[in-house]
Amino acid sequence: MLGGRYSVNGKSQKYTEKPIKILLAKPAIDGHDRGIFVLARAFRDAGMEVIYAGLLPTPEEVVETAINEDVDVIALSLLNGAHMTAFKNVMNILNKKGIRDIAVVGGGIIPDIDKPKLEKMGITGNYGPGTKLNIIIEHVKKRAGEVRKMRENEYK
Amino acid sequence: MNINDLVKGILNGDKRSIARAISIVENSDDERRKDIIDKIYDYGNSKIIGITGPPGVGKSTIIGNMAPMLSKKGKVSILAIDPASPFSGGSILGNRIRMQENLSKYDIYMRSTSNRLYEGGLSEYSWDIIKILEASGSDFIIVETVGSGQSDVDIMNVADLTCVILAPGLGDEIQAVKSGMMEIGDVFIMNKMDKEDAYISIKDITESLQISNKPDTPVIGLNSITLDNYDSFIDFILKWNNKNTERRNIRKIRQIINERIFTIYSGYIESIDKNKLLDKNPYGIADDIMKNFDGLKNKYLEK
Repeated sequence: MLGGRYSVNGKSQKYTEKPIKILLAKPAIDGHDRGIFVLARAFRDAGMEVIYAGLLPTPEEVVETAINEDVDVIALSLLNGAHMTAFKNVMNILNKKGIRDIAVVGGGIIPDIDKPKLEKMGITGNYGPGTKLNIIIEHVKKRAGEVRKMRENEYK
Repeated sequence: MNINDLVKGILNGDKRSIARAISIVENSDDERRKDIIDKIYDYGNSKIIGITGPPGVGKSTIIGNMAPMLSKKGKVSILAIDPASPFSGGSILGNRIRMQENLSKYDIYMRSTSNRLYEGGLSEYSWDIIKILEASGSDFIIVETVGSGQSDVDIMNVADLTCVILAPGLGDEIQAVKSGMMEIGDVFIMNKMDKEDAYISIKDITESLQISNKPDTPVIGLNSITLDNYDSFIDFILKWNNKNTERRNIRKIRQIINERIFTIYSGYIESIDKNKLLDKNPYGIADDIMKNFDGLKNKYLEK
């Protein structure tokens, strides 16, 4: 009856900290989903609650899902070169709705020249193939921590 | 922003407020949960439809198909529960993929949660989440359990109408007469009627129901590709009028009391001297702790 216990390295742990909730999405016409599956598993193994939006969601659907599920982080991935428009669409919709307490991170085939532009929009990370999983996980944890801090004293 | 704004948002059906309130319920302590539930408890009156069944029989698909049909009759909300990993505590919430298209189109609120290793097919705070969805003005709340084994029957304590989803080929008539999940259905759904042996499976279930204590329980065959026979399922749901509030609330009271007692004792139990643990019979230690109940209780209430 008393909440679950899970084991990390053989040690029993209880849910004391709330798990990070993350939405993985490919918000354009891009079917390369092996990478995002690898990430989904990696995030799960890092103790996060992972939602994968499936193939071909529109930016509107991505934001709607993020709101409905109250995620901490949206992780966007594209390998088709459409990141400058598709990622931007997601950001625009978030801004239009006045949502600032969801972190957005990116990844995929992103040329170095685009990275500063994405950062400026508020999309951080932007890791490419070959990046070590723990680097990505650390980054997501850091961004989620920032968001959590914003939300901490929201409702008293 | 304060809690009253949040409550107002929930009552107005604002999705962001609902979503945030559910997060708070899932992640905070007893006191915060009580705060929210106190303010919304009296609102709303929904029909709670439980969908349970083994993994892969089509629970999410069926919900994705039935939710739009029900939404013609009233506001629909969905709560779907997926299992957590016993190794990391994380989870992959995949129910949404099979419904997304219809959710946006029909403006249905849907929330996926992890069971956080709570046993029985639901999550620890499902009751609270359902309460929030109820207060948001839902006429129907569809609750999807974790893909269940034979003994995951918690949904019968929570749902007004428990639907057990099955598919052909899950076993013979012996499986159909077993106890556990096969007893809790108010209706049995045979999905994938296009598959071989579907009619024989329906026959097995029907026969075993006829010799049980609920011989009138209907068995409905569905085809989720062609949407065949969904209308009779929807009709059945609309006609169903039983309320299960009593059992639902008893379950919740039990949980709350358990949690509070656990809070009182857990720190104390962990602080027991290691040497004592090795020497003494656990029954004896438990007796000692129970004798000290008042002292511990007062310490908790002072906090």
